[in-house]
Amino acid sequence: MPTIQLKNINKTYSKGTNQVVVHNNFNLKIQSGEFVALMGASGLGKSTLLHLMGGLDKPTSGDVIIADQCINRLSESQLSQWRSENIGFVFQSHHLLPVLTALANVELPLALTPLNKKQRQQHAATALALVNMSDRAKHFPKELSGGQEQRVAIARAIVSDAKILLCDEPTGNLDRNTADEILSLLAKLNSDFGKTIVMVTHDLKASQYASRVIDLEHYLQSKECMSSIDDNSTKNVITKIKVCEQQGVKA
Amino acid sequence: MNMFTLIWQNSLRKKVRFTLTCLSVLVAFFLFTTLSAINNALSSNANSIDNYRLITSHKVSMTRALPINFSDKIKNINGVDKVSYSSWFGGYFQNEKQQVTMTAVDSSNYFAIYDEYQLSPAQLKKWQNTQTGIIIGSEIAKKHHWNVGDSIPLSSSIWMNRDGLFTWQFTVSAIYQGKHESTDNKKIFFQHKYFDRARAYSQNSINWLTTKISPSADNEQVIQLIDQKFANSSSPTRTITEQVFIKEQAQQFIDMAMVIKLVLSAVFFTLLLIVCNTLIQVIRERLSELAMMKALGFSATYLIIQIYAEALFLIGLGAVSGTILATLTLNSVQVNMANFLVGIYIAKSHYLISIIIVFIAAAMGSLFPAISIKNLNISQTLGAKQ
Repeated sequence: MPTIQLKNINKTYSKGTNQVVVHNNFNLKIQSGEFVALMGASGLGKSTLLHLMGGLDKPTSGDVIIADQCINRLSESQLSQWRSENIGFVFQSHHLLPVLTALANVELPLALTPLNKKQRQQHAATALALVNMSDRAKHFPKELSGGQEQRVAIARAIVSDAKILLCDEPTGNLDRNTADEILSLLAKLNSDFGKTIVMVTHDLKASQYASRVIDLEHYLQSKECMSSIDDNSTKNVITKIKVCEQQGVKA
Repeated sequence: MNMFTLIWQNSLRKKVRFTLTCLSVLVAFFLFTTLSAINNALSSNANSIDNYRLITSHKVSMTRALPINFSDKIKNINGVDKVSYSSWFGGYFQNEKQQVTMTAVDSSNYFAIYDEYQLSPAQLKKWQNTQTGIIIGSEIAKKHHWNVGDSIPLSSSIWMNRDGLFTWQFTVSAIYQGKHESTDNKKIFFQHKYFDRARAYSQNSINWLTTKISPSADNEQVIQLIDQKFANSSSPTRTITEQVFIKEQAQQFIDMAMVIKLVLSAVFFTLLLIVCNTLIQVIRERLSELAMMKALGFSATYLIIQIYAEALFLIGLGAVSGTILATLTLNSVQVNMANFLVGIYIAKSHYLISIIIVFIAAAMGSLFPAISIKNLNISQTLGAKQ
């Protein structure tokens, strides 16, 4: 069963009095352990898809099913908790907190876990070591280069051991060499640690690192995109959630 | 790294802004504490006045005269121990900027009723035997270097003497010392008998009477009996306790309590605007960080609590500093102020009220930021494009 399923997604934005249709009956399946590069021209809704997969946004209609869970039916607080446990985000702008050191920035998501201070710091140090940033642990973001900041952001994304990494143009602000370093790092996380990675990018070279490249322009016209995912497992998941909701159990 | 680290680091992110906002809170709480202490002093002064003394004046106004023989009529009322009378002189020394509190009093028993002005029997006798004699307070004597036996010219803004002059010549007969710390040591008293003889007009009239009632008497009952006695005369009276009299006198010029409330309302309203503005700025600057934290799994409630805690820290620090500064200032000036404003103190309830204000101000200041956080669209803030 795929880890990520977007089923019959419709997404419409309001712009003043106009309704802008971004996605119409969009379908996508991503298997566990895949490294998918979502490519295509600006305005096709790549970031929107990524945000839907991460529970940062909700579809106008359709279902977003991640690891057996229909996340668009979760409440805001349930979504917050779900994100903290399941998803790691890496954005083009790293959004590190400038007042915290690299180590503290990586430790930030662990503030939501029951780990004690020592355990949190150990986890953060390990994550920093994985991205080769141990020697910069005590540095503040303004003391780091763009590539180093992005490495810290990746460490922050993986520190909670999220199975899925969603990366929105992670190399957009970086030079070629640094971008290659970041892509290698993501590929390593995919191959060595089994992380499922979905990366939105304009970088053609990224296709060399991804296990699957989806060119959205072509994909939108494909049969796979248009056809509804109609397997029984999806129905089972939705039924399970409905039962849980009726019983007052947290989905 | 925990919420406290975040609060601390975020608060000190813009040190100048934090310091200036904190200073504005400090000033607000400094004023709040100081004015409350002054209000306490004003209230406690009135409260410490002898409740057995009653003041009788003309029903229409204090400035309208009463016949001097009312004194004898009041003496006969049941429950009355002693009666004395006084008239306002409206005095000043050398020029009208140097006003003095000067009163013509009944020399026979005024100081028996007002025993807080301490005089020896010999001093009193000397004054009673000196027609132009004055009794002055130790403070005013010290201020002008006046000694017993000195001849002092004092002018009146109201009363002309028989020579057609507003400047009267007096001799210092005695210097009194106040019995309590709160006693005013800057007053001047002279004989009403001399005043009546020497003034150019309004003989045999007085401004007010002071009645000392017996300890067993009911002052409400005595008040009624006095006013009933003169109800149908040409000069109907209004009798009140001295406590009420002092408060009314103060309120004739200014309602201190009202002024304090108005000043404090203005101060706290301004404070609220400043804090609100600061926090709105803070949120605007950190919108993308807050969106990122939400993306990481921090709930809106967590982030709202964090902003509230930051507001609490900012206002709390200013409030504690302002209150400490006011306490130290009040302690240091208490000695200097003792002569004109006794009983300055900070009530324990003031600290409780301050704490409540801090929590409420922080909550109100965090209201708009909380709404912003609640409505924060992560996707749009972090730059999703269609």
